[in-house]
Parts: sequence; C-alpha cells; structure tokens
Amino acid sequence: MYLIKRDDIKKIAHALEEKYTLYGPYLDEVYGQCFFDIVNGDTVNVNAPIPTNPPKQVVFPHLEKIMQYKYDKKAKKADIAMLFDDAPRALFGLRSCDLTGLQCIDRFFLGQEFVDEVYRHHRSRMFIVSNTCVVPFKQCFCVCTDSGPAANEGYDINLTDLGDSYLAEVGSEKGKAFIEAFHFPAATDEHAKLKQKLVEKSITMFEDIAVESKAWVSRVMNRVTTGFIKEEIWEYIGNQCLECGACSYVCPTCTCFNINDASTVEGNTYRLRTWDSCSYEGYSRMAGGHNPRKPIEDRRNKRFFCKLSYSQSKKYLRPGCVGCGRCAWVCPGDIGLPNVVTYIRREIHE
Amino acid sequence: MSYLPGVCTFCGTGCGHYLKVDGASVNGVFPSRVHPVSKGRLCVRGWNIHELLSTHERITKPYVKDGEVSYRDAIAKLVSALSSYKPEEIAFYVSPRSSNEDNFALMKLARSVFKTNHISIQSESGHRNSLDVLFKGTGCAGMLGSLEDIRKAEVIIVAGMDITTQNPIVGSELHYAARNGSLLVTIDSRTTKIARLSKKFMNIKPGTMRQVFDAIAYYIDSEKWGKTTIAKYDEYKRYLEAVPFKTIEEVAGVSASDIMFVAEKLAKAKSAAVFFTSGISGLQYDTVASIYNCFALADKIGREGCGVNPVAGINNLQGSFDMGCAPDLLTGFQNIDDAAAKKRFEQQWNAKLPELKGRSVEELLADSKSPLKALVIVDHDDGIIKFADRLKSLPFVAYIGAFTNKVADFAHVVLPITTYIETDGTFTNAERRVQLSVKKCNPAFDVLPMWKLVSDIAAAAGKPFNYAHASDIMDEIASLTPSYEAISHKALAKKHGIQWPCTKKNPDGAKYCATDKAAFVLPQKPYASVQANESYPYLLMLGKAQHYWHQNNIMHKTFIPLREYNATLLLYPDGYVAIAPEDAKKIGVRDRWPVKVVAEKASMKAMVMISDDVAPGTAYAPYFIRDSITSFLLAYGDVVSQGEEATIPVRIEKV
Amino acid sequence: MSEQKIVTVPEIATIEEIKDEIVDVKTFYLRFDNKEIDGNFKIKSGQFIMCTVFGAGEFAVSLPPSPENDRFHITVRKIGKVTDALHDLEVGDKVGVRGPFGNGFPFEEIKGKNVIYVAGGIGLIPLRSSIVHVLQHRNEFGRILLLYGSRSPQDLMYQYMLEQWQKIEGFETFITVDNGTPEWKGNVGIITTLFNKVEIPVENTVAFVCGPPVMFNAVIKELMQRGIKDDMIISTLERHMKCGVGKCQHCAIGRTLVCTDGPVYTYRQIKTLGEQI
Repeated sequence: MYLIKRDDIKKIAHALEEKYTLYGPYLDEVYGQCFFDIVNGDTVNVNAPIPTNPPKQVVFPHLEKIMQYKYDKKAKKADIAMLFDDAPRALFGLRSCDLTGLQCIDRFFLGQEFVDEVYRHHRSRMFIVSNTCVVPFKQCFCVCTDSGPAANEGYDINLTDLGDSYLAEVGSEKGKAFIEAFHFPAATDEHAKLKQKLVEKSITMFEDIAVESKAWVSRVMNRVTTGFIKEEIWEYIGNQCLECGACSYVCPTCTCFNINDASTVEGNTYRLRTWDSCSYEGYSRMAGGHNPRKPIEDRRNKRFFCKLSYSQSKKYLRPGCVGCGRCAWVCPGDIGLPNVVTYIRREIHE
Repeated sequence: MSYLPGVCTFCGTGCGHYLKVDGASVNGVFPSRVHPVSKGRLCVRGWNIHELLSTHERITKPYVKDGEVSYRDAIAKLVSALSSYKPEEIAFYVSPRSSNEDNFALMKLARSVFKTNHISIQSESGHRNSLDVLFKGTGCAGMLGSLEDIRKAEVIIVAGMDITTQNPIVGSELHYAARNGSLLVTIDSRTTKIARLSKKFMNIKPGTMRQVFDAIAYYIDSEKWGKTTIAKYDEYKRYLEAVPFKTIEEVAGVSASDIMFVAEKLAKAKSAAVFFTSGISGLQYDTVASIYNCFALADKIGREGCGVNPVAGINNLQGSFDMGCAPDLLTGFQNIDDAAAKKRFEQQWNAKLPELKGRSVEELLADSKSPLKALVIVDHDDGIIKFADRLKSLPFVAYIGAFTNKVADFAHVVLPITTYIETDGTFTNAERRVQLSVKKCNPAFDVLPMWKLVSDIAAAAGKPFNYAHASDIMDEIASLTPSYEAISHKALAKKHGIQWPCTKKNPDGAKYCATDKAAFVLPQKPYASVQANESYPYLLMLGKAQHYWHQNNIMHKTFIPLREYNATLLLYPDGYVAIAPEDAKKIGVRDRWPVKVVAEKASMKAMVMISDDVAPGTAYAPYFIRDSITSFLLAYGDVVSQGEEATIPVRIEKV
Repeated sequence: MSEQKIVTVPEIATIEEIKDEIVDVKTFYLRFDNKEIDGNFKIKSGQFIMCTVFGAGEFAVSLPPSPENDRFHITVRKIGKVTDALHDLEVGDKVGVRGPFGNGFPFEEIKGKNVIYVAGGIGLIPLRSSIVHVLQHRNEFGRILLLYGSRSPQDLMYQYMLEQWQKIEGFETFITVDNGTPEWKGNVGIITTLFNKVEIPVENTVAFVCGPPVMFNAVIKELMQRGIKDDMIISTLERHMKCGVGKCQHCAIGRTLVCTDGPVYTYRQIKTLGEQI
C-alpha cells in the first residue's frame, strides 16, 4: 500500500503510457459525455463518471477484423492470416463493476472447453489500474450484485481517493514492480481503515432502489433459476422490447458476437467479428428461415436467464450482472435489468 | 479519444450518437446521452451504423460506360451531355438522405445552370401532403410540435403508424410518456406494438382514419368544447355537419363511446399531440386535414406539449423540402410562382429561373410521352428500378452516390461522392431540427463531397458557384430562406441543432410553430368508401413492414440490420399477405402456404402469414417486397398513391 | 502428431469430388492440403465442422461420413448466401475447415439395443454416419430399422445408399414419400403412416430421429405412445452457429450450447431445455 498525492496520480498514467497503449475515461470536449478509450496521461480523467461504453470494448471491440484471407480461384491458392493483436494495453481508472465485467468475460472466453484466441491475445499483456467509487453514480447498483463499490481482485493496482491523496493497493507482482519504482511513501493501516470507512459510506449513498434491491437480486435469481415466473411477466417485459440490442451492447459481460466475411475491391476478404444481441430476431434464425426463438418474449426471457439464473451465469462464476446500470440508461422500452428485477419481485411479493 | 459526436442519418428522428473513428474507419457507435430527442438511446439501425460506414462497397472512382475516368473528364461528359438537351428534357432525382447543403447545391444547379424545374425526391412521398395541409393551416410547413417534448403531452394519439419500428426512438418516447401518465391512444387497423403499449387502442376498419378524426371533431364541436375563433370555422362547421357521426360504429368499426372518450380527453387536456406517418406511404391530404382540423378545434396546436406531428421516415426528408427539392418549391416552402421570392433568388444567383412548370421525376418516368431525355440520379435506393425499361431507354443518365448501387448500372456517367461523415453538412429532422454533422475523417477514397462536385459541375458549365466550404452554402440558404435566416454552421456548432423558424429576432428557433394566423383546412374530396363484398370479402391494406422500410440499398451494405431486415424476406421470399388466424382457417391455409390474392383489376401470388396483428376480414401486404408484387401495385397505382391508407377489396384463394 | 482439432485458423482443404444428390443438395469430398492434418483428422459420428467458403463466409455442417473408413465429405443443401457460394465451386477449389466439434452419438451406451432410425428429408444426412457405423458393427446391436420419408421420390437423399441398404440382410428399411409419382412403387404417405405398417420394437430400443420440426414432433409422439422412453430417443439439433466453439452463443438452447453440449441430445434433455425444436 502506498500513498500518492493527488497531483502525482497522473505520473502513473504517464509512466504507463510509455510502455502501454493507455486506455481510460475521458470527457468528450464538445458535450462532456464520458467514454473509455485511448487517452494520454494528460487527457485521462480519473474523476469522470462511469463511461458510456463498457471497457470490454478494449478486449472485445464493437467491430473487429479477426482474420484476413485471399483466394485465387485460378491458381486454386488460399492464404489465411489471423489478425491477432497482443499490443500491450493499460486500463487506467477502471471502476469495480467494469473490472468485474472483464473478469466475467475472462472466465467465459478463456476458462471454458475452448479458449478464444482472439480475446486471449488482446488480454495477454494488460495492466489494470482500478478506481474505487467513493461516491456512487446515479443508477448504479453494484451493491446488489456483489461487484462494488470497491474492487477486491483482478487489478494490478487499485486506487482509492482518500481526499488529499490516493491510496494505492497492489494486486499483483506486476503491479508491485511497477509502483515500487516511484518510491511513493508507504500507507499505514490507518489509511486502509479510512478506505474501508469511505467504502462503507459510499454504500449508504446509493439510490434507494439499489439499496432496497440488495437482497432482491439474489431472490430474483432464485426465482429465475427455478423457472417459477409467470408467462405474463415475460410477456409484459417482452412487449416493451423494441429490439434495438442496446442492452447487450452496453453490458460489461455480454459477449455474443456475429461473424461475417467482407471482401474489398482488391479481392482481400476480412472476417469481421461484431457485437450481436439475443434480442434480435435474426440472432437465432437459421438459414432457411426456421427460428426456434421467434416470439419477442422468448428472446427477452433468454437474456435475463443468461444474466440472472444460476445455471447460465455459472460460466461467469457469479451473477451475469455487475450493477453498472447502463442497460437502464439506453433502453427504449424501460426494461433495463433493475426494472426487470422490480417486475419479478413485485410478483414474488404478491 | 476516438468517439466523435454526430447525427444518425437513418430516419427522421435524427438521434445523436458518437462514432468511434480510427483513421478512416468507423469501428463502433454509442448513443449521445444529452441529445434532446434520443436522450441516450438508439435503435437497431443506429446501433449498427458503423457497419454501413465501414463498408467496402463504395464507388471509388468516376467511371463511364467504357471504364474509369478522371473527375474532370466525367464532369466534362456530364456537362456536355446535359447542355445538349432542352431544359424540359432534363430532370434531377435527388435524395432525401443528402444534406441540406448538397440538396441546395443540386437544386441551384438544376434551376440556375440547366434551367429545369424538374427536380424531385420520391413523388409518392406522403410528407408533401402533410406539409401542404400544415402550411395552409398555420404557415408552418413542418411538424407543429416537438419530439423533444413528447413527455409533456397529456394526451397522445398515434394515427396509423407502426412507430416503434419506423421511428423507434420516437416510439420509445411515446412509451415513456405513457409510463409517466400520459394517455396514449392508438388508432390503427393493425395491432402494432405501439397499439399493444397504448392505454386505448381503437382498431378501425381500413381506410376510415379520416372519418374517425372527423367524428372526434364532430363530438368536440357538438359539445361546444372547441375553439371557434379560428379562421374558416363556419365553413368547417358546415363540413362537420355532414360527418357520419351516428353511423361511425358501422363505418369505422369502433364504438361511439370510444370516440366520445377520446374527444373529451383531447378537448379537456392541457396538452395533446398526434403522430402519424409521413414517409413514402404517408396519409392523404384530406386525412391529414381532418387530423389537423380536429387538433386545431381542440386548441392543441402552438403550445407546449401540443402538436400535429407528421413523422418523417427518412433522415432529411423534411430538409429536402426545405431546400426546395420539388418542382414547385424554392427553399423554405416558398412557391416558385411567388414573384418576390423568385426575384430574390434570381438576384442572388445572377441567373433567370426557368418559367417552365416542373414535374416530378416519377411522373416523368411513368408518362411514356414525357419529354424526359437526361436524368441525374443522386444516391437513390432500388425502388426506382421499377422504371427499368424507361431508364434503359433514356439517352443520358448520370448517377451520383457514395455506395455501389444497382441504379448506377443504368448510368452513362457515375460520379462518386463522400459519405456524410467525410464532409460537413446539416440535416433537418422530423421536428424541424437542423443539426450540423461535422467531418469526422478523411474520405477513404479519393472522392469529393457532393457540394464540391456540384460546384465543379457548375464551374465546368461556365457558371461557377464559388463555394469554398459547405458553410458558405448554408450562409446562402439563410440569406434566401426566412425560416433559416439565422442558421449558420457557426450557430449550429457544438449544439444539438436548432428548430426552425430560426430568425435573427429569434435565433434559438422554436419548439412549437406559432399559430396566431391558424385556419381550418377544408378537405377537398368526399369520403372514399372502400367496402368488402361477396366476391372480394377481404380489405387488403398496403403498408410498410419491418424496421427497414425503403433503404434496401443501404441495408445491403450492413450485416446485422440486413439480417433483421431480411427476416421477413427469408421466411416469405415471394412476399406475404397477413391474415387473421380465423380467416386462415376459413380459407384452409397454414402459415407460409402459397395463396393467390385476387382483386378486381389484378392478382398476385404471395405466402400467407398468420398474424394476430390484423383483424378478421382484413389482410395486410407490405410494400417493401415490391419485386414480387410490382405488377399488382402498378395496376392499382391510384390506390397505392394513397400511401398508408391504400385499401383494396380482395379475395384470397388457396393455391 | 496426435489427433487434430482445428479450433481457430481454418485448415485448407481441396474439393476432390462433387456428387449431385437431389435438387439443391450436393456432396463434396474433401482432402486437407496439409498431409499431417489429413492423416490425423479424426471425427466422431454425430459431430460437425465449420466450413469456410472463401469470399462468402463460414457455415456449420454435420458430418455424414462414418469415422472408420468413409472418405471425408460433407453433404450440403443450398439454402443461403454461403451454401449458394459452395454450390458454385468446382473440383479443385479450396475451402477452409475447422473442427470437428460437438459431442457425437453415444454408441457405447446403446450397445446391445435395437436401433430405429427415423429420418425426414435431408434429416438423413446427419444420421448417415451413425447408420454406417451401426451396420459396420452389426453384431453389437439388436434389430436395426430405418423409417425414412421425404416429400417425393426425387427428394430421397443418398438414393444409391438406400438401394444398398435395402439389400442388407437384417437391416429393415421402410421408405415413404408424401407425394408419389407414377413410377413410384413404394409407400405413399407422411412418415407417421409407416408406424402402423411396421412392427416397432419397444423394449431395449433406442431411436434416432432427425428431420424438420413438424415431422420431429409427430414422430416423437408416435414413439412415446408406443412406450419408448424419452431418454432412449436421440436427435441431433441444428442451430444458427457462428463460431462452433461455444463463444458466439447463437446456438444457445436453454442452458446448453448446441456446438459444445450438443448437437446430439436425448429427447429427455430437449424437453428440459424449454425451447422450441
């Protein structure tokens, strides 16, 4: 544990920038909206609110070329090259919800029967600096999903704003080696206690709905897992789905993707991997037209099963929701996950 | 820091987004959380726009039938070809997707350089009907209300529009308004999603929208809840007297108590707004007039939360009319026969404007005796291919566009342009909001922005426009257009647009069109009553379907939107006709079985779609599968021109 | 070198032979260009591969060859953009192959049982490898029956094999078509009509069922009515697939993924997945 003066926090960013491509939150200069993207030590904004885009984008981009090939039909010759990208990347100022999301994706892409090589390369040389939320943001509910407001694991360094200085906790050998080079003063147990206090205070500052729902998420998970939810509830939810796919796109743990081959004028073909969403009708439709999951409520139901049932979320070793609240921001139908939990819990109530 | 703010250019909602631009490629998109209309949301199209913007299916070089040429040679060929024809033989088919600057430049090119008034976007556009009615009634040729303020309306009526698929974010706002306590009423002949989300759904017989609104107005008037001080009230009252109020249950298939309920709520609410479709298949003039009159009578125009709101389907449909891309219009809905306006344009442009009465391009193409010989087509979707024979026979066709397009195969000269993110330009959304989209990356290929290309064409024709930047064009637009008077790229910078009328006196624009001169707009024709009968027992409605109603060419450049769009085409490759389950039983068919749809003048083959969305006794066929029902539609051209209200009695036979 | 499973980068294979089957269905015989792969590419009956048609895309396709001594091939119906492009290829053209993926048929567990195959239309393709395997190990099983139906005589898959199979003693084959032709001498009627004409074993019997959803549901009903248990009915499912290795999630059905947990399921499993077939 080290103590870093407020003004020195950028030193870390600058040092990371030398060895890594630096990613972090920044405010768009036109309208002030926060994004998580490539920044430099000067533009990164540690105090920015939760970014619009989930940082999963760094390791699982919205649209990505994963393979390139060229087929010469005359010579009957095919050349295939994977476009793996293992550039060193540093994520700076990651919030605990998003870090938890990243860990979920790790477990899913790296820890199942097959390893996703495209993802593994992205993830292979990564340095993570997380940032404790001493003040929660509107619509956050990580307290209900066991993913905040402070990170417990998965970081190389975790920062906590103690007021006049930051507490830096080390989470890995890599993090230790990195931070030792700065010779920051060591932090004491007092500082650790202060952090704990701040985290506890933060928990009390969440919006009512989050505080109230604390136990409800797990009770709802129980319900969803056992399947004791009336069809009408799913229909009520499904009716409000406008099939935009936004909930999947903004979710820090959603990993569904689509694959398509696109050819250039020169005859090169790229295999593109793009985000996909289980709310789209075409998602499960087979060539020839048969669609086993046609009604919209089937598709909605599917997403919430994926996030809220034990059997589905076992691939993440935790609930599939990290409580970032993004799906509630972007939903045209007002069926972000917190609302869905509310609908189901109302039913349990009755 | 590669997320750059911009405007989504799929539909007329004009949502705000951020594009992830890395060099010349667009690798992602996120919604703008502070945009006044979209408020952090996008639809399936908007969420996948990067697939279109990063497509390789671009036109990369100018070419003629013999092969690639330089811009210089292509422009020279275009100019010499067009110069060899008389003005009445030349027409410009411009795009409702182009920016205001591009369309203005094209309009100026057509009128001041090639001296033709034959310039139009799709002639079947129902938006023109809406604009005509609203202009006549209020002097404002655009949405009277505001999308931004939907949640301020106490009563909201959706009239015959599948709004959650056509303009999903507007649909979303309606849904949120209803959740916040607004009374959401849908009046339609199909059970759309918005109908399911509404507190009141009036499932009317096809083709009776006008009668229903007249009946609502009749009741408001008879209860003396209406505003009678509006001009032409006496004439309107006489018109209302003839409204079949007593028989409305039979005529429209809705209960009189529902009509009275809606009438009372509408009249007594503090605010109310109505939304109806206004795209390719909008409503008829008289229907729009009835809707407008009903709201004018209920005193629900010109105030906060109020409005008669046609929702444009295409991103710059409103802007295209604003820019005078119509045979009889100059900018800002100034009529070309308005001598004062015409003089201002002639002075500014230092050119005589053509006297010859203009005709729409579709009319010229459809009329085999029309003088049309040379046609310039800009960035159009595949719909025009229905005129393939005529296009093939034209001595000269030029195509201008950013993406590859089958229409380009007809062209003698093809000129590529940039996409909208590779140059500056403004777009005017359905609520008159003029938004600036700034250049986000250099063109992926060595191609010109359209406004620059048009300037070069004018220069090659010996009449240079001298624009150094797109903003110069907006300055010229502002100087010629009262409603755009104070609009400039500078004024729009770092803003989420300004809603015209934007004048020097009122530079922040207007959310609501002022109505101190409002008048009732009297419908022109008697009610057209289409009845089913023994030989033709089903009323076939024609309309839009799916999320993607007309941008076939654009959709084909994407993956996910295309996949969603193709859902219906894949399942029903020969087109479909939707019928109610009980009718399917009667006819003896199951889902996806082939049937013959027989009308008096024509018949077509289609597959059956069994759907709860259509009421028994009615059937529904979408326009978008035009390929398969073209001959049928051509036989009923007059009916089809009624847009969303087109209704044809048919018989459905098992094949 | 050990057994090959090609997970990420497609291996290039040459189309050695193309055989026309029925309208819009062709069989493509493939050989890997890399000899090492070719010698070590071991499939299990019931698995599938992901096949890249260069310039068009990748699609999932079941493997009809028996693992033991069949030539490596795929049988593909032309049904979308990618399979259209495959059908346009000729002998000597290259394709990319990943796989084999999926669980395969549980032959060990069904040893000693009677085996009924019920297939509809091109549903015979994924069952072919299993049939060939069981016939090769004839003595390990009880009675072996095939009930096969298609729309018309022209739509019968693998006609040359059907002729051979009908000659094999102890392989009870029954074929029917929905719509006969003047030349057609066999059964006419949908597949369930065969159930009344054939003496179906029930005890100690396993049934393999594959075909379009409507046929599948009707056949299951017939089998269950006769007392065949749901865990003794085996099918192989088809889903929209993009990756083949459990990542893209398109093939999710209930809590399982068809690509890694399937494609072979018992009907007991299918029932609990809570989705349409």
